[in-house]
Amino acid sequence: MIQIEKEAWEVMVAHARAAYPRECCGAMLGVEKDGARRVSVARPMRNAFEGAQEDTYVLDPSEQLQVEKEARARGLSVLGIFHSHPDCDAYFSRRDLENSCPWYSFVVLSVKKGEFDHANSFLPNFDQTAAEKEQLEYSI
Amino acid sequence: MAKILIPTPLRHFVNGQDAVEIAGATVGECLEKLTTDFGDLRKNLFNDEGKLRSFVNVYLNDEDIRYLDKTATAAGDRDTISIVPSIAGGR
Repeated sequence: MIQIEKEAWEVMVAHARAAYPRECCGAMLGVEKDGARRVSVARPMRNAFEGAQEDTYVLDPSEQLQVEKEARARGLSVLGIFHSHPDCDAYFSRRDLENSCPWYSFVVLSVKKGEFDHANSFLPNFDQTAAEKEQLEYSI
Repeated sequence: MAKILIPTPLRHFVNGQDAVEIAGATVGECLEKLTTDFGDLRKNLFNDEGKLRSFVNVYLNDEDIRYLDKTATAAGDRDTISIVPSIAGGR
């Protein structure tokens, strides 16, 4: 299960709306206890994809390294990655799966006509061939 | 001894440590020793052919080893090795 605190959730939704109609991306920081991930900080990141960003996102690895350092400095952990799907549902696409990793929760936010619609979280497997849906809770 | 920073989701494979000091001449040697000492970690970093998994990026200090000498990149005292997953996607 992944729980996202109100302030972090607001940052994620704001980032997704600001990026619309392009895909946004970012990291979720917090603590993991007894199998539950609790996100207290959302860190917007730049979409490093150099083509049309309406249907693609790429994390900048050097920014990931910085976020990892920030998390360590704050006594937090990088628990997951979020990105948006403009004008479509919050599913985990084939490309999402093939370019994921099994260590994190992957939260997808659906943004339709510029407004947040719904979200889901996924846990990919080692071989990036399947992802199970994860219970997602957030405060509005 | 190079220091390998362990991402949080992998720390339970290394007795909860956030970093592990490993002696090795290259980044590849350090990762091999790390995953020999902590065998359960191996599946996370290497595939069945013994190659780094496609989503695993490795940094020596702030440099991506793909732009250095890959796993043959020399590693020494005071060097820090970071493991950063490669992540992308799209609808």
